[in-house]
Amino acid sequence: MRNTKYILDIALVGLALSVLVPCSALAQGDTSRGKQLYVECAACHTFNNDDDELGPGLQGLFGRQAGALEDYYYSTVLSNSGIVWNADTLNAFIADPQAAIPLNRMPYSGLPDAQDRADLVEYLRDASE
Amino acid sequence: MVTRLPEVDVVIVGMGWAGGILAKELAEAGLRVVGLERGAMRKPGVDYGVPAVRDELRYRSRLDLMQDVARDTLTIRNNPNQEALPMRRLGSFLPGEGVGGTAIHWSGHTWRWTDMEFKIRSYYEERYGRNFIPDDMTIQDWGISYDELEPYYEHFERIAAVSGKAGNIRGEIQEGGNPFEAPRQNEYSLPALSPILANIKFTEAAQNLGYHPFPRPSANASIAYTNPDGVNYSACQYCGYCQRFGCEANAKGSPHVAVIPLAMKNPNFELRVQAWASKVIKDSDGTRVTGVAYTDLMTGEEYEQPAGIVILAAYAINNVHLMLLSEIGQPYDPVTQTGIIGKNYSYQANRATVMFFEGRKFNPFINAGGSYATIDDFNTNLDFDREPHDFIGGYTVAGGFNTYLPIGWRPVPNGTPRWGTAWKEAAASGFQSAMRINATGSVMANRYNYYDLDSTYKNALGQPLMRMTFDYHDNEHKMLAHSARIMNDMAASMNPTAVNPAGDGTTPWSVVPYQSTHNTGGAIMGTSPATSAVNKYLQNWDYHNLFVVGANVYPHNSAYNPTGPLGALTYWTADAIKNRYINNPGSLV
Repeated sequence: MRNTKYILDIALVGLALSVLVPCSALAQGDTSRGKQLYVECAACHTFNNDDDELGPGLQGLFGRQAGALEDYYYSTVLSNSGIVWNADTLNAFIADPQAAIPLNRMPYSGLPDAQDRADLVEYLRDASE
Repeated sequence: MVTRLPEVDVVIVGMGWAGGILAKELAEAGLRVVGLERGAMRKPGVDYGVPAVRDELRYRSRLDLMQDVARDTLTIRNNPNQEALPMRRLGSFLPGEGVGGTAIHWSGHTWRWTDMEFKIRSYYEERYGRNFIPDDMTIQDWGISYDELEPYYEHFERIAAVSGKAGNIRGEIQEGGNPFEAPRQNEYSLPALSPILANIKFTEAAQNLGYHPFPRPSANASIAYTNPDGVNYSACQYCGYCQRFGCEANAKGSPHVAVIPLAMKNPNFELRVQAWASKVIKDSDGTRVTGVAYTDLMTGEEYEQPAGIVILAAYAINNVHLMLLSEIGQPYDPVTQTGIIGKNYSYQANRATVMFFEGRKFNPFINAGGSYATIDDFNTNLDFDREPHDFIGGYTVAGGFNTYLPIGWRPVPNGTPRWGTAWKEAAASGFQSAMRINATGSVMANRYNYYDLDSTYKNALGQPLMRMTFDYHDNEHKMLAHSARIMNDMAASMNPTAVNPAGDGTTPWSVVPYQSTHNTGGAIMGTSPATSAVNKYLQNWDYHNLFVVGANVYPHNSAYNPTGPLGALTYWTADAIKNRYINNPGSLV
């Protein structure tokens, strides 16, 4: 029963991401504004994967499989999501994390504004390299 | 065999707010600092993440973050004629243990105590005459003023991410804040938390009755925030797991987020966990202390850590215990009223009214630690005349929810059967349809409320347990009766479908049900060694290189929770040590 639910959740994630992707491609990101918005994330995430923080490190984020850092305890749903982090998947996730990947561990309610997300994702792309 | 370690500049006992702030500040000032913490190393990423932290049974019922009473506890009695018995389970109060201390699991309520507390005896004597204060009420002025502490309050609020709405900025009353608060220089750095339904209903009722409701200032970041030391906080998610839990979102102002990590990045600081300080070591000439003896709880090995400055920054009760065990100062005797150490132990006095609104859904699982609308009309309000009610001190009244989880929050209307189908139905309905208003009141120091060493029971190190002698006295009973009338009238004005009214509460204090982790006094501050253990810089009168930092320095307890002045006094003491004491060691007054 439980496994069925996870499979269903993963299917829903795919659906949610595929619906959200087309909208995200429209916005152009502003890195300096994104850096200011990053204060929303900074209490739990750093760009050094060796830091021992509440959230996983963001170093090398783009192109990484979700749930891939060995030393971090991810939720099963995130590890099994099959997501590869890029501008589109990040945009969809940050918009409403619990809608995108239900039961994931991140206690963050989301960034509703599309331009804010585009700016933040652009900053994440720069800073995570 | 005791191993004597190389001397350092400062040894600090306890790593909560007081110890954490001092560790960071003194290490940055260039001093070599060692911190001793009896509990374990705990970090947000490992210990407070979702979903493991959302475990009501582990943290709220079984008290995973609290002092281990199998190792060290207190004996308890209500008065000196009783035999004190060991508290074998935590109940009425919950000292924390571990890196971050009690401030791991606090809710974040951060108040600025005013001159009404700091000059309490002078204030009541001037206004009501000497005879208004009962003979057995041993209240005294603190020897410090609000104006001296104001910049330190502000600094602590900014470090701890306190969200709130100012009520008085430089004498100008501010709409939406507490009009009775003492003047602030500036607005809070973070806006007040978003109100929940229980706050809104309380606020409406209070306004209708002519009271002055405001959102409670709390160290729960209402928005994402970077503090003056560059520490980042997330925005509070109103997850409902605050009191007795570590924060899953790094949104609660806590020493293990705000100050201890900065100290640990500084090579001048070394943290030793599982290190139980057992004694302060004194110099043979009687003017200085020379270090701290401790036991490594992982190995059982005993150590002496010599230091130029010794700072006791453990939980208030444990600071006083260490003073008594180390024979620093004269123990207090309630019969002869001589001696200082152990004197003026105080607590808080609470009552609640529960209202049921059939059909309403309060969603009590959505809240921050500070989700309370509060009135101060019967506390710092100078126009509230105490004379006709014949009590000293006061109380706040608040409506809201803070960590109301299903094991612990099962309100049912009075008269509901205690078990069976009827109880289950009422409990299921009450979880959603009930809200509570509660009064939190001061406790004035009393001659017969005190600490000393127990002559029978010992802790795991073989040392005498601390003995607590405490009960409420006439002053508190009169105040609680007043608060019950006010709350019950307020509840009636809200037209609930059922109400469990607040009672007068004349029974003795019991250590069993949880009431308040706001234990104050025992090694108090003041203006003279004849009446206090430490001066206004929290420096011991007898040993000038010993500082005792904690709510144990409060000569009485207020309706306000104690952490605001504790944070302010700690930064004040840090400044006094950095700017004055290290250049010119000796008495600071």
